[in-house]
Amino acid sequence: MDTASANDFDIRDYLRVELLPHFMCPGCGHGIALRALLWAVHDLKLAKDRLAIVSGIGCSGRVGAYIDANTFHVTHGRPLAFATGLALARPDLEVIVITGDGDCLAIGGNHLIHACRRNLHLTCLMFNNEIYGMTGGQVSPTTADDRLTTTTPYGNAEPSFDACALAAAAGASFVGRGMTLQTVALKNLIRDAISHRGFSFVEVISDCTEIFGRKNDLGSSPEMILRQKGSMKPDTYGNVVDRPFRPNAVQTGVLARNDRPEYGDAYRAAVLGAAGAAVAG
Amino acid sequence: MIPVGRRNLQGNHACAYAAIAAGCRFYAGYPITPSSEIAEKMSLELPRVQGVFVQMEDEIASMGAVIGASLGGVKAMTATSGPGFSLKQENLGYAAMVEVPCVIIDVMRGGPSTGMPTRPAQGDLMQARWGTHGDHPIVVVTPASVGEIYTETVRAFDLAERLRTPVIVLYDETVGHLVETVDVPDLSDVTSAQRKWASGPKETFLPYADPGDGVPEMVRPGDGYRCHTTGLTHGENGFPTQRPAEVEEMTRRLLGKLERHRDVIDRFETVRTGDAHIVVVAVGIAARAARRAVVEARAKGIAAGLFRPITLWPFPEAAFREVVAGADAVLVVEMNAGQLALEIERLVGRRGKVARLNRISGEPIGPDEILANIEELARHGHR
Amino acid sequence: MTGETGRVGGDRQIRFSGSGGQGLQLSARILAEAALHDGWSVAHSQGYEPTSRGGLSRSDLVLSRGVIDYPLVTSLDVLVILDDVGATASTSLLTHRSLVIVDAERVTEPPLGPWTVQRLACTATARRLGNERTANVVCLGALLALTPVCTVDSLTAALRDEVSAKLIDLNLEALAAGRALISQTAGVATPAAAPAAP
Repeated sequence: MDTASANDFDIRDYLRVELLPHFMCPGCGHGIALRALLWAVHDLKLAKDRLAIVSGIGCSGRVGAYIDANTFHVTHGRPLAFATGLALARPDLEVIVITGDGDCLAIGGNHLIHACRRNLHLTCLMFNNEIYGMTGGQVSPTTADDRLTTTTPYGNAEPSFDACALAAAAGASFVGRGMTLQTVALKNLIRDAISHRGFSFVEVISDCTEIFGRKNDLGSSPEMILRQKGSMKPDTYGNVVDRPFRPNAVQTGVLARNDRPEYGDAYRAAVLGAAGAAVAG
Repeated sequence: MIPVGRRNLQGNHACAYAAIAAGCRFYAGYPITPSSEIAEKMSLELPRVQGVFVQMEDEIASMGAVIGASLGGVKAMTATSGPGFSLKQENLGYAAMVEVPCVIIDVMRGGPSTGMPTRPAQGDLMQARWGTHGDHPIVVVTPASVGEIYTETVRAFDLAERLRTPVIVLYDETVGHLVETVDVPDLSDVTSAQRKWASGPKETFLPYADPGDGVPEMVRPGDGYRCHTTGLTHGENGFPTQRPAEVEEMTRRLLGKLERHRDVIDRFETVRTGDAHIVVVAVGIAARAARRAVVEARAKGIAAGLFRPITLWPFPEAAFREVVAGADAVLVVEMNAGQLALEIERLVGRRGKVARLNRISGEPIGPDEILANIEELARHGHR
Repeated sequence: MTGETGRVGGDRQIRFSGSGGQGLQLSARILAEAALHDGWSVAHSQGYEPTSRGGLSRSDLVLSRGVIDYPLVTSLDVLVILDDVGATASTSLLTHRSLVIVDAERVTEPPLGPWTVQRLACTATARRLGNERTANVVCLGALLALTPVCTVDSLTAALRDEVSAKLIDLNLEALAAGRALISQTAGVATPAAAPAAP
């Protein structure tokens, strides 16, 4: 099936090709993540007119502009807040948020946990490259121990977040992690995340070769990606609440999933229904 | 249900009813004194008109959600007070930059910082104009009564839609919590504009092109235009640009947009300013005290008048200059340490004396105190 | 919404003051609704404190037959004090024309000056009716008898709108008892034996 969909998937059908070449550095994983997203959109046969992409600030935030859809590039850390308003006002749209590790977990952390709790139908893709790339390579909430960045010149002493554990603990009804090396698996994960009725959180393990890799002598992009693969364990998820910080080995795939009520549906059924009854009564 | 006809109504409730009458169908907010009655009323009334109310996780998210809803094509509003207004400034700047219609209510309490949550003040006059960074357009209206909160909230939506700009409705805690007898109009008598939607061929559509009046047509997701919206400085096509000529042109249009529509923006009230030698300038509850003081001064033979900006920003300069042309003293009365006075001093220049009456104690300024200041000016020859 | 008038002769300014939780805001709201019904224009403001119980609480009404230019009280026609905590806070708003109604039990030191003070057993009367918390409505009945700003019918109707069904009989009884307090004293106010206003 994937082969079949690969055969009729032409990424140019979903890109604003007139904007190419894109801004991303050679070796950046974000382009592969973008391809996986658009492939998933293609698999789901989503109409581009009904697709809304909301992104924040940073390298991840710039990716949305290349998608031939309704694209909104908003303020730093706030794409989930904007997307919440957009999705509540326009339930007919398929709203997908593209954010980064800094955008989503640092400045936007409060919005993430409450979006998970609220369980509004949104898909949140967090491109994790362990760094603030756009601003020149400062430490982020997912930067691993001991890594060098422009603001941890002696190595990073802070523990890093496990974003999926955080999202699952906060109540996201779909949580998954994928990596750019496994593009088909990543595409399928994003496809399932979009299909899921509720708030879906997907961490995409990306790589920043140009800044993070260079600073830490991690080699070329293929070398970085292969190193990521070595630290991945594609198996089921452990007790997320007991492991709030990123362990040495991280799992990929669907990590948490439940079918609790989607917020927009619940609001329309309970609140609008009750108010309508009150008016009628 | 939305009340109609003659009744006693609280200022904050009047604001909520007016918003719904003007077509607001989305509210996002965060609890804060002294504005929370607006959120509470919206949570009750919006679902009855199939609208959406959401209490967000913080003030920043509330502003973001409001902009998101408006980008979706729905009239949207939030309400807050000083500390929350500070938090909303970044996204407010985004709304100004991206040209998203939205209405923000700021019920002013004592500041700075947490200040006095239950006490009135007028300390956000300058923040309302310059709170977010960079040169930006903003419209601020300042109602002084419950009835005017209603009419100005309706007008705020009207201006926001027509001009594609955030509009701030700014009033003090006293007016917000005041209950007054008002005549609430029938919903069918309330009219409020709807933004111009994108039209014409989709392939060649430019979302930030000037159609002639400085206000671009707005794209509605789902209508097939599939445009890009960004807070980065953008050109006519909506995509980021740093080309100096393009940046200059875009920013000039953005800033000039309001100047081109002064006819619908400017609003003010004058009381006996025709032959006034002493002109009092005030907004909100201070202006209502000033009104009485001016009438009492007239009874004592002092040629006093009142200029009350109803649109505070952009300041109704032309009308004000006309009013003060024949005056030789202006008294600026405000419940802050002197903010509006800065603008008045700029406009009056060296042509006359500008006196100040300020109050920062958390109490309103009463008519007697204003009258005493008018009399003091009169004693010094400004009759 | 405002007109070019100063203080109109027929305007009334009334303040309810006391301790948070005594129902002062409710009293003012009921009177405001009754006054609206009887053709007054109303402005109702309140001292709005972060604590809703125990602290100083006040609720003000300005009633006018015309347009209310300035909606806050500047000089009181009637000051109601139901607790010592509100005893001195409003003295600067009193004149020789003011009527001060104080609860005989909970106000031990009424403000002294050239105004008229009426001590009334509001709390005691309410207790006798079975619920001390209706002292505010007893007081409202007395106020109406002393200064008939609205009709009894309008006040009764407003009371019915504001009070829950299971408490309405008690409150109507309290209103009547309050009015009776004045007829018992033949509506004669007691001049305060007091030195001049501070």
